[in-house]
Amino acid sequence: MHPIIRLVNRNLTISLNKGFLIWQIVFPLIYIFVAGFAYTSLIHSVPFGNKSLDYPAFIASGMIGFNIMNSTLISGIIIWNDRRHGMFEQILVGPFTRAHYILSNIYTIGIVGLISAALITAVGYPLFFKSVEFNFYTIPLVVFASVTGSILFGSIASIISTRLQSSEGFNVVINTAFLFFAFVSTAFYPAQGAPEPLSTAFYLNPLTYLVDVVRAGIFGNFSTFVGIEMTVLVVVALILFTISTKLLSKLEI
Amino acid sequence: MSCIVANLLTKSYGSIMAVDGIDLSVNSGKIFGFLGPNGAGKTTTIKLLTTLIVPTSGTINILGMDAIRHPLDVRKKIGVVLQQPSYEPTLSVEKSLEKYGMMWNVERKTRNDRVEELLSAFDLQEIRKMKNDDLSIGQRRRVQVAREFMHDMELLFLDEPTVGLDPSARRGLLDFIKKKVKEGLTIFFTTHILNEAEYLCDEVAIINKGKIIAVDTPNELKNKFGREKTIKIRIPETKKDVQGLLIDVKDYEIDFNSGTNITIRSNDSEEVLLKILQILTVNNISIEDLSVMPTTLEEIFLTVVKNSNASNN
Ligand SMILES: Nc1ncnc2c1ncn2[C@@H]1O[C@H](COP(=O)(O)OP(=O)(O)OP(=O)(O)O)[C@@H](O)[C@H]1O
Ligand SMILES: [Mg+2]
Repeated sequence: MHPIIRLVNRNLTISLNKGFLIWQIVFPLIYIFVAGFAYTSLIHSVPFGNKSLDYPAFIASGMIGFNIMNSTLISGIIIWNDRRHGMFEQILVGPFTRAHYILSNIYTIGIVGLISAALITAVGYPLFFKSVEFNFYTIPLVVFASVTGSILFGSIASIISTRLQSSEGFNVVINTAFLFFAFVSTAFYPAQGAPEPLSTAFYLNPLTYLVDVVRAGIFGNFSTFVGIEMTVLVVVALILFTISTKLLSKLEI
Repeated sequence: MSCIVANLLTKSYGSIMAVDGIDLSVNSGKIFGFLGPNGAGKTTTIKLLTTLIVPTSGTINILGMDAIRHPLDVRKKIGVVLQQPSYEPTLSVEKSLEKYGMMWNVERKTRNDRVEELLSAFDLQEIRKMKNDDLSIGQRRRVQVAREFMHDMELLFLDEPTVGLDPSARRGLLDFIKKKVKEGLTIFFTTHILNEAEYLCDEVAIINKGKIIAVDTPNELKNKFGREKTIKIRIPETKKDVQGLLIDVKDYEIDFNSGTNITIRSNDSEEVLLKILQILTVNNISIEDLSVMPTTLEEIFLTVVKNSNASNN
């Protein structure tokens, strides 16, 4: 077996435990069913392109992007944990190079992102199946968004993991980032409905782009704007990815 | 054949010379002990030899390979237990051993057999289902050391492997190591427990402030540096001023804790002893007990390091 595959196997074993799966399924389910249905009386429908979505369908599709972010932040923490528990050094005196380690983390994050996206798509499907329009263009769009989004958020987590020294600092930064990404985005409410400064802030948040692209994929309305959002997503992901790889390859032992 | 050869190996951190131009040559199939006080440069040397960090200057050859040019080839042939703990907190003991074997590309069947063998050898059967996160420090260390034997290797580096182990676990590990060396493994080993080194090592090097200050077999070191002997004389309580009587004698200490104890520590301890005995006989002082302490590696270590510090200042 190739060294990268062995490391991916190890990464998946340590991250896909019971806690992770509960976090990945139960948490979004609560959002979809509790928030989704509680707010239906307030938000009757959300205009979306030439369609109108009911709120549960809107939030369920938003949760796909949310879950990708959430899961890849968690698996980005692999690097942090490996440093803290001595496994980073131990792996690097084993039959691996730093490049193997870095690539295996990216693959792990991509796989975890896809698994999460698939889980939520499956769970949320009954909610948005009325409006869903899967076709040749849309499924690749969702997969594209999952992978790009995973790399983007995985890179953010790994940058944080390599820069910070203390556990307290790490937790504060990760949680703040998480709160900002999750709630200042179109995952939970549409940008059009939000008050002005907030709706602009939505577009400073990569999760908004990720969620928009996923929604475009699921509800099949591709537009120039979505094209621009895809470009932004790729560019930001590439920049963050380059930074995180540089930092990791220079990380002092 | 030498399986570790290092020449003029240096590693500096800013102005600190952690390793300062050392030469090493370790023979295959032997246990090489690497001793030195805290901060001497042992761990840094191990990190250099195992390709974890690159030297500031010097050359390293491991198992006939240039370790600076071909680090991955070297890593595939060696095992390393670092001083720093390392563990997979979320996995059980047995699972973490098994996964480690997988990471080393050990076949599944062999892997499972080795897990069983190591769980028994390191007395881990009782805690095999426990999560690494829940283990005591010593248990975790045992798992970490055991784990390294999941894969095949020609050379094993152990940085203070016995720290935190209880006496029976420690003895178990040392005997396990001896067994593996009989089967052809070479071991590079650091410890602060000098009788451990004496029990185990075919050859030892002593490092201080980044420089190697002695290399030899434990016995040869004793012959070279162990000319100083320690002799203890115990005399009953007496009203006489023993200290005053011995005023002209050098190289001894006296304490009055329980009775009167005279300790001679000298390169010419026989001569000192003779002088003291003469004075005691002349003054009619009897002797309760007289003992000669065997020289231990620990004393050699203390002497050699003290000499080296003195010559530095
Ligand atoms: N990453 C680092 N940055 C700066 N200085 C370092 C670093 N690593 C080690 N040193 C310094 O190098 C010297 C040697 O350290 P090393 O860890 O090799 O000692 P050691 O012999 O293993 O000690 P101990 O018995 O305490 O484990 C020390 O003075 C230490 O402070
Ligand atoms: Mg050390």
